[in-house]
Amino acid sequence: MLQVYLPIAEISVNLLVMLGLGAAVGFLSGMFGVGGGFLLTPLLMFSGIPPAIAVTTCANQIVASSVSGALVQWRRDNIDLKMGAVLIIGGLAGAVVGVWLVGALREAGQADLMISLSYVAFLGLIGGLMLAESIRAIQRARAGVPARPRKPGQHNWIHGLPFKMRFPRSRLYISAIPPLLIGALVGFLASFLGVGGGFVMVPALIYLLRMPTNIVIGTSLFQIIFITAIVTLLHATFNHTLDLVLAVLLIAGGVVGGHFGAQAGQKLKGEQLRLMLALIVLAVAIRILFDLVLPPDDLYSLTPLGTKL
Amino acid sequence: MKRAPAIMAFWLATIGVACADDPPAQEQVQSDISTREIAIQSNFTGIEIVLFGAIDFTSVPAIDETQYDVIMVVRGPDEPVVMRRKERTIGLWVNGPSEVFQSAPSFYAVLASRPLRAIAPEATLKKLGVGFAELDLGAEPTDEVNRARFRSSLIRLKEDRGLFLESDDAISFIGRSLFRGSVDLPVSVPIGTYTTQVYLFRDGKLLSQDDSTLQVHKVGFERIVYLLAFRYPFIYGLIAVVIAAVAGLITWAIFGRRD
Repeated sequence: MLQVYLPIAEISVNLLVMLGLGAAVGFLSGMFGVGGGFLLTPLLMFSGIPPAIAVTTCANQIVASSVSGALVQWRRDNIDLKMGAVLIIGGLAGAVVGVWLVGALREAGQADLMISLSYVAFLGLIGGLMLAESIRAIQRARAGVPARPRKPGQHNWIHGLPFKMRFPRSRLYISAIPPLLIGALVGFLASFLGVGGGFVMVPALIYLLRMPTNIVIGTSLFQIIFITAIVTLLHATFNHTLDLVLAVLLIAGGVVGGHFGAQAGQKLKGEQLRLMLALIVLAVAIRILFDLVLPPDDLYSLTPLGTKL
Repeated sequence: MKRAPAIMAFWLATIGVACADDPPAQEQVQSDISTREIAIQSNFTGIEIVLFGAIDFTSVPAIDETQYDVIMVVRGPDEPVVMRRKERTIGLWVNGPSEVFQSAPSFYAVLASRPLRAIAPEATLKKLGVGFAELDLGAEPTDEVNRARFRSSLIRLKEDRGLFLESDDAISFIGRSLFRGSVDLPVSVPIGTYTTQVYLFRDGKLLSQDDSTLQVHKVGFERIVYLLAFRYPFIYGLIAVVIAAVAGLITWAIFGRRD
């Protein structure tokens, strides 16, 4: 019965439950190589943490996991700093918009709904795509057909855009507009949903910008450190939705869970991992949708107005 | 100026006569709280406070067959709140109409030795603002039906959270003079200055009232976190980011460097 009082969320939670939650999500993220924010935020919401506080606190937790991940990639020289910088500039704009939107929606009493709805749409889409892809991969593996290698990079519409920049580490000469936009989208997702956004960034960098895959992960992690740090700062400053005690618990759990998750992940096949992750993601999406569709226990809700001091 | 003492004497005599016309001096009530200060820290899971008091019969002899009644009110600082009602929109339950209450007490407990209506007439309760029915929540003027619904829902939600409480048999007498009542402050108890009022009634008439205050505040680490978060939010955010970054660094140093 180790109850811990969360000073900003103003509820008392079980220490072991929160450490366990951090560890479980850390385990999954270590196993699947994903940030885990898109699972942690909804799980916190399910356990009674107000959504806006869950979003901010998760963003802060992702700072920790992306720092350790990025350092590993840094050692392997897998980070394109220039590309990272451009992505961060875009991300800053997206983060500002997201933080402002959360604040405005909170005032209108619609923040919880919009965050939940966005999660349903987002997790449903990602989970559905992953499910379809992993089932195809498993069927292919059963039939003994080797996975087709991707075609080498070809010129696409992106190469027609102005403001071209050279990114020597990625061996790219492309317009700065797509990375700025990708960064902005990820920054928005981080501030609105409390996710790192790696699962948007990685495919975008690979398929849209044709960055070399080995550099994508490191660059994505590098950018996520800064975006989630900025999001944490902005939310803490303008929306007062960061709970430091909760953040510390989640970070501590996540560190340990992430380590064991990474070990477990090496023993499973890629397709199986993706199938499991897809199912988890879809289950979370359905659970959030149920909460929105089923008649609520109580039609009325009470929210304090204004600051607390 | 020689007349001054005479006038004084006259006035004193008049006052004396007036006093003699009044009913005899009344029983007084004295009270105290088990704790004057409640400190919220990380292991806080709520606390029970005991209000106790005594009826002072020194000025009047106790009348054996008289029944005394006591009402205690514990009230937390007022705060503006907004009540919202969900409505079904395209299959989803969405927050719809709302109503702002400018000064809802963050905590409100009424303890009584008998049902409030049996202790005092409605007019007296209304004047004192005692009881859910008489509570002024500072509602903004809107249509009556909606306001009544929002008002009763606010009270119900606060009751569910243990922040509003009305109890008819929460005060027990120990002998003729001593009485006590207890209130549970839940984990979500709002911080600030609380007032307590103890009212002594006899035959529906208010005899005496005794007020005190009670401080609820966060202490130690929780206080620092709370103050930082609301007074210096940027520094607070910065600390959180640094903690996260250092944690990431340590993780890497322990687990990540091997590969």
